[in-house]
Amino acid sequence: MEAENQSETLMSKANIPIDTGRPGSIWSSQSTGGRDLQAVSGHGWFRGLGNLLSNELARWWRTKMWLIHSLIWTGLTALMLYQTPRWYLFEGYEPVVAVFQTLGVVVIMQGVLVGEKKDGTAAWVMSKPTSRSAFILSKLIANSLGVLATMVVLSGAVAYVFFSTAPKGVPTPFFSLAALGVTCLSHMFYITLTLMLGTFFKGYGPVIGIDVGFFLISQDLVGRLPELGNVLPWNLVLPINNGPDSAFLAALNGQSLTPYIPLILVVGLECIIFTLISLWRFSREEF
Amino acid sequence: MRESTPTVIETRGLTKTYRGVQVLKSLDLEVHRNSVVGFLGPNGAGKTTTIKLLLGLIRPSTGSATVFGMDSEKQSMEIRARVGYLPQEPHFYEHMTARQNLRFTAQFFFKGPGKAIEDRVDEMLQLVDLDEKAERPLKTFSGGEKQRLGIAQAQINYPDLLILDEPAASLDPIGRRDVLEVISKLHNDTTVFYSTHILDDVQRVSDAVVILNKGQLVAQGPIDELLNGSEGVVYAVHVKGEAEEARNQVLAQPWVNDVEIGVHNGETTMQVSVSNPQAAEERLFKLLADSPAVVTEFRRKQYELEDVFMHIVEGDKPTTKTQTSSPSMLPTPIHHLPIT
Repeated sequence: MEAENQSETLMSKANIPIDTGRPGSIWSSQSTGGRDLQAVSGHGWFRGLGNLLSNELARWWRTKMWLIHSLIWTGLTALMLYQTPRWYLFEGYEPVVAVFQTLGVVVIMQGVLVGEKKDGTAAWVMSKPTSRSAFILSKLIANSLGVLATMVVLSGAVAYVFFSTAPKGVPTPFFSLAALGVTCLSHMFYITLTLMLGTFFKGYGPVIGIDVGFFLISQDLVGRLPELGNVLPWNLVLPINNGPDSAFLAALNGQSLTPYIPLILVVGLECIIFTLISLWRFSREEF
Repeated sequence: MRESTPTVIETRGLTKTYRGVQVLKSLDLEVHRNSVVGFLGPNGAGKTTTIKLLLGLIRPSTGSATVFGMDSEKQSMEIRARVGYLPQEPHFYEHMTARQNLRFTAQFFFKGPGKAIEDRVDEMLQLVDLDEKAERPLKTFSGGEKQRLGIAQAQINYPDLLILDEPAASLDPIGRRDVLEVISKLHNDTTVFYSTHILDDVQRVSDAVVILNKGQLVAQGPIDELLNGSEGVVYAVHVKGEAEEARNQVLAQPWVNDVEIGVHNGETTMQVSVSNPQAAEERLFKLLADSPAVVTEFRRKQYELEDVFMHIVEGDKPTTKTQTSSPSMLPTPIHHLPIT
């Protein structure tokens, strides 16, 4: 009986007039604002980017995600620096940036594309009038902003407070920003690398495996073949063997970053290449 | 039949191969504007592959597909702007509410104003009876509720073509009836191309059917013609008495192609195949009534879609309303009729 009543309600609701604004439509004699709707135009590579980006940003900033990551990275930074002798605070912050945050980036990014491919939402979104490049770019931009804001900026702010208690004093604003910039670049390398791997694989395993494997063996690789230090991001945030400081420590210590400029340029170029490969590969994805 | 109606979907030699296996074999398909076309076939026949090819979600191995005259590979985005699509298993962002998912969908098509978009979202929520659950996260929705949301999001852009992959799956009988109701209502404004396993639904709301089997098109055409069989209009007549003489009188008519006779439970059954349905409608019954035989039953024979489907797909012996049909009367694969 209840089901029947529900059915009646539903049927009557199915008859609710809907206004398409389209002359001659079954909906056209009907009520509301369909005529006012302004269609999205254009068919370029960026179509749908605003909508997708807004959705991705909302996933970071309108859920608890931002809070969770903020707590994790500020808490970890505080914990690590609290246990570090005041004279070595810069060195104590290095593993937070170079190891924990890098692994955090990989964990966050590994599901960004693969998750949507596996649960079918990517196919659903791609059935709407939006470009594949917009889909990839929205993931890249929104997650980069989320990662950099919570891991780099907030964590950096906590570190700055600790540095202010150090005998060395705080780095100058220029060198503080330089250190943040180098950290951002290192993280962007792993963000774009993981995104690219996500376009090639349908499972989480290969993406996280290759990513973490690369991270773990790259120190050894750079130790055996020092030339690789010129093309891999390791030296941005960690010293190579017993060699000179990383770019990160050099910046905090107020040293010139000139020796690191070629590496910075190469890693920046690699980020662009990974992004372009992601765009190309995803344009060929079959859902 | 509306052959002059513009074609909305057209495929030519459309083929899809996965790792050396052809899952769709040289499909030639036509769907005309404002038709409701049921897309049938057993599991794995290639229905979903065809739909994905039309939407540009996958690329053809060979051949081509056009929708609204636009190439499905090169102009996929333009096509998708005019299509509403319900996937076989609708997946949405689970952390978002039903309203947020619909708003997100609407904003691919409309840039504003916000009030008009919200009104449209409200209308769609009401249409599928989810207005009271609009603010609930999707992770709390049942399969049927997600299906309803899928139907709502497919219609949010006032599509010129609605492609529904198993729209009644996961729905209870009432929900299924409502989906059919919506499809029927859209008939005059939108072309509907939908796949289903529920043959009764197809027979109720479709103008035409397309049947795939093992990646091949085995039949397409107006549903009435398909149900009438490949030999045109056939009358099923049950008589008692002088059946042979009645048969001879009927056969003597120039508009009669053939008369098959069989004896069934003490009655003689005649399958009268005619070339001129109008002449048959006007004269056949009178002719038989005036004959020495006694007519106990007289009807124009029509097959159930299930009979046609089973015959085409598996070559099964059909079971029709009249229980006496011969397989030869059923449509013979491949049945190319323009879809109206």
